[in-house]
Amino acid sequence: MKKTFILFLIACFLSLVSSAQAVTPTPTPEDRLAEIRDQLITNIASRVAALKLVEKRGIIGKVSDVTNTQISVTDLQNNTRFVDVDELTKFSSPNFKGTFGISDITKDSTIGVLGLYNKESRRILARFVNVITTPFIIHGGVASIDSESFTLNITTEEGKQMTVDIENITRTSSYATEEGYIRSGFSKIKENYNIVVTGALSLEDKNRMTATRVIFFPQIPVSPKVNSMLDKVNKSSQ
Amino acid sequence: MKTEKIILSFIATVFGLLVAGIAFYLFQAAKTVTPNNTKAVSFATPTPTPVPSIFLTVDRPKDEEVVTSKILVVGGRTTSNAVVIVITETSEDVMEPSENGDFSTTVNLDEGQNVLEIISIAPNGESIRIKKTVTYSQEEF
Repeated sequence: MKKTFILFLIACFLSLVSSAQAVTPTPTPEDRLAEIRDQLITNIASRVAALKLVEKRGIIGKVSDVTNTQISVTDLQNNTRFVDVDELTKFSSPNFKGTFGISDITKDSTIGVLGLYNKESRRILARFVNVITTPFIIHGGVASIDSESFTLNITTEEGKQMTVDIENITRTSSYATEEGYIRSGFSKIKENYNIVVTGALSLEDKNRMTATRVIFFPQIPVSPKVNSMLDKVNKSSQ
Repeated sequence: MKTEKIILSFIATVFGLLVAGIAFYLFQAAKTVTPNNTKAVSFATPTPTPVPSIFLTVDRPKDEEVVTSKILVVGGRTTSNAVVIVITETSEDVMEPSENGDFSTTVNLDEGQNVLEIISIAPNGESIRIKKTVTYSQEEF
């Protein structure tokens, strides 16, 4: 009796399962449309996610290592950045006539990279790589002036001593509250003036530069940090 | 008899402990410390790190931004009585921020990468510098 009851239960269960499988409906046009819509939504979502993951970026850095597929650079914030290079990457250099490629990029040269930055891998897939020169800018106090050779000795906040050559091309300006930003000249620069110099660093001497633009501030004193540096320089020269 | 033994041993233990305690006290009191063996401990008062009298934040442009317009707006906030200098490779602009410290100017970009240096100088001469790279390109990729 018990056996018969169990067999009856199993039979009921199997019949229910088979009936459930049998009731798979044939897809209607509405269902097909819904399926296409879902597929489209999934595709768009994945594309949007991919677009958000990658963005256009441009960086400047000093080359620390070059291989056939990768350039390692140290950027302006002193971070090491990895730049991937492929067959679509274009290379150029202002001083190079003819074909310029990755093999022409040397260590310690400064390059500008424009490409696709992947936020996840933090790498840039380069599309354009150019060898460039960046302006050298210093800010500090005028330690001494040599009117004969048209040079300025400037002490920076970092304690660096820079010799600045003033050339004919150098544009000198000053800024004061009443006068505003006006054109000025080398003769108006005085010792202990707060000064900003833009130019190019000498290739032979790391502590020498040629100024293209000079801005000095007669009303603003030299930074306390620069002042302490100037005192040290004066004491050592005595 | 048993209780007597227990009491006696208890008294002996207490007496022994007392003698040992007195002996230890006398030993410590008789001990002299030579000045050579002493170490002067001084607590140096920490010098507070000097708080700079100036701050600078540059909201626009973002670092490493790629723009399609040659004219770029540079803006941010600094100490209200500071002087702000915005320097590019070919131009510079000197300005004073508004009363709440906001400043804004426009610069012309060159094709490719441009280095923007924003310097804010306080009336006492202290300064802060921020460097940003902005690329002007109309290339599609």
